[in-house]
Amino acid sequence: MTLGGFAGTILVVDLTRGVITKEPLDPGLARDFIGGLGLTVKLAYDNLGPGTDALAPENPIVLGAGTLVGTDLPASSRLFSITKLPTSGTIGWSGAGGVTFACMLKNAGYDQIVIKGRADRPVYLEIIDDRVTLRDASPLWGLGVSATCEALWKDYERPTGVVAIGQGGENLVKFSMAYVDRIATLGRGGFGAVMGSKNLKAIVARGSRGVSVADRKGYKALRKSIFERMRAYPHLKEWQEMGLINSFPFVEKETYLHIKKRRVACVSCPIGCKDVVEIRDGDLKGQVVCSSSAINLFTPIIYGMKDYREAIKLIADLDEYGLDMFEFMGLMVFAKALAEEGLIPRDRAEPQIAVESLGSMEAWAGKIARREGLGDVLADGFPGVIEAFGEKAEALAPALVKGMHPYAGPGAALPWHLFGTMELGQVLDPRGPHVGSSGSPTYFARRPLEVFPKHLDRMGVPEDEIAGLLPRGDEGEITGLSVGGLLRHSHRWFAILGSLGVCARAQINRFYSASFCAQAYEAVTGIETPVSALRERADRAWTLLRLANLREGFQREREEVLPRKWFGDRGFQDYVSEEPLTVGESEQMIDDYYREWDWDPKTGVPTQRALDRLGLQGLK
Amino acid sequence: MSKYRILTDDAKCTGCLRCQLACSQAYQKSFNPSAARVRVDFLGVDCAIRFTEECVACGLCADNCLYGALEKSAEGGA
Ligand code: SF4
Ligand code: SF4
Ligand code: SF4
Repeated sequence: MTLGGFAGTILVVDLTRGVITKEPLDPGLARDFIGGLGLTVKLAYDNLGPGTDALAPENPIVLGAGTLVGTDLPASSRLFSITKLPTSGTIGWSGAGGVTFACMLKNAGYDQIVIKGRADRPVYLEIIDDRVTLRDASPLWGLGVSATCEALWKDYERPTGVVAIGQGGENLVKFSMAYVDRIATLGRGGFGAVMGSKNLKAIVARGSRGVSVADRKGYKALRKSIFERMRAYPHLKEWQEMGLINSFPFVEKETYLHIKKRRVACVSCPIGCKDVVEIRDGDLKGQVVCSSSAINLFTPIIYGMKDYREAIKLIADLDEYGLDMFEFMGLMVFAKALAEEGLIPRDRAEPQIAVESLGSMEAWAGKIARREGLGDVLADGFPGVIEAFGEKAEALAPALVKGMHPYAGPGAALPWHLFGTMELGQVLDPRGPHVGSSGSPTYFARRPLEVFPKHLDRMGVPEDEIAGLLPRGDEGEITGLSVGGLLRHSHRWFAILGSLGVCARAQINRFYSASFCAQAYEAVTGIETPVSALRERADRAWTLLRLANLREGFQREREEVLPRKWFGDRGFQDYVSEEPLTVGESEQMIDDYYREWDWDPKTGVPTQRALDRLGLQGLK
Repeated sequence: MSKYRILTDDAKCTGCLRCQLACSQAYQKSFNPSAARVRVDFLGVDCAIRFTEECVACGLCADNCLYGALEKSAEGGA
């Protein structure tokens, strides 16, 4: 059977032996795991031996483009990966706006890439239609992310997609990331280091085969309906012009518009969220910077940097090294406290650690990326620093989840205090503290409770399950939220979007519904897909990700614990009552999350019934 | 099929390739940016839009550009 949408081939790259094979995609597997993220989970489960170290050659990187990627459904551009991540030691997803890469991978003829082993010298993977080759990357080794992309784009005309690491990934910095087309980030938690450990500097992809849909007529009607809704959306222009700066006004609107040079969008995205900016005045005048999101450029302001131009410059440096800015900034605040307490000797903390100073931060970013002096310790992230400086250091550490710094919550970069799905999701997503999978339905903004039923319906929560998630009072008014129960549905919705390859960002996700996704999947692939089947397949993928982690020895008591610093007067508050969150309530939420998944409410191990329902019997 | 004059504004182009997807789907029956009659060239951080000789000025690409980088003019006549 030929499926529409899918390219039909899995690329298997053995870096150790230098052998590349092309395997036909089994249509049954494609259906059962949807594609994209779902298939990535399945291939990682099958290719990852339990107990493998994240930076060992045996840890595979699986990369996949979703089923709708390559079509022109809005923002169907996403690239996903599953690998064991070095900071958390868990098997987690990494996802990026695919910019041109994911679309080009499909056009070259591949849905997924499985990369195993370790090359004996720096290489990059070239995928140009049928021509798939490992090439010498020695001239690129040591270059930053955009320098690598620019060098490759000299040889491979755009829109060739590039996934590349900077010096951070090369030197196995535990919070290094890979970048897609130099502008989208892949893999907070050390995806960059996994590529670096394989001596894999970059992957380039370009193709000219095209992506076809099975039912053109059905597709056309669906496409028309979603575009009509998008065009009619009253805030479309505002999102295109301002994006998240509206919600996080770190700088004045005028300043942002003054420096914004151009908006950049992933293939097929009608809104866009990425920017090219140019610093127009001051010492840094003329610097042109590409960013995955304008608000990221201003993050150092939250940490005390005064001048937005300097903030932009620092983020540009971190992006060039390929380092996660949240982890970097959090670590530097921590290191500064350790130096002030005398736990780090004065001569090791040179230059002086000053989070508000561009000069100091640039120097430390370089030392970490190159693992020089104390930078070598900092490059191992919070766990490495705590191990090096002991218990006293641990007492000064911020809230940590799986060894990483959550970026939303009390004392974090986004000091949001209400505890919704996004906040709980930072603990219950296996990858570590990330909000990408748990935005719907609560997001950061306090949403009126009346909107929840409609939103849950859109996410595909069956009608008879909605009542249990939204307790009501005597008058029938919604009085609270089952945050744990809701999060189970956030994760399923994320697995649906991720498997289709649709961007889950709020500005995109709002136009999609589970029923639309099921219809679009059916029209594109030709596989009969009622919404109930789409839900089940997404559940299969997310449950298998759970099983992959349980197989590693993942435990509730260790991996799924809320940091103590999240409680107390300055801790999180209940999303509705705004009363301080208690440990008991949070434990209950985790029980609810497990129960809603039909996992053991105490241990989080999927029940036999759940495994039988999903056809995952026999897997542990 | 009506013909339009297609106006381009490179500065507004985001590189989303919606134009190339729409054109290839209409004329090649598959989404294939490399087969489109409109091309967005990425030049450093800038974009430049051009049309190939096969372009029949049908305006579909402009209908699919939501950023105002392609507009079809009502006057017609290519
Ligand atoms: S919203 Fe941003 S990340 Fe998502 S598809 Fe559009 S440009 Fe890419
Ligand atoms: S011309 Fe319009 S549709 Fe084409 S890439 Fe540029 S912004 Fe996208
Ligand atoms: S005007 Fe028509 S033929 Fe020409 S590039 Fe646009 S869609 Fe293609």
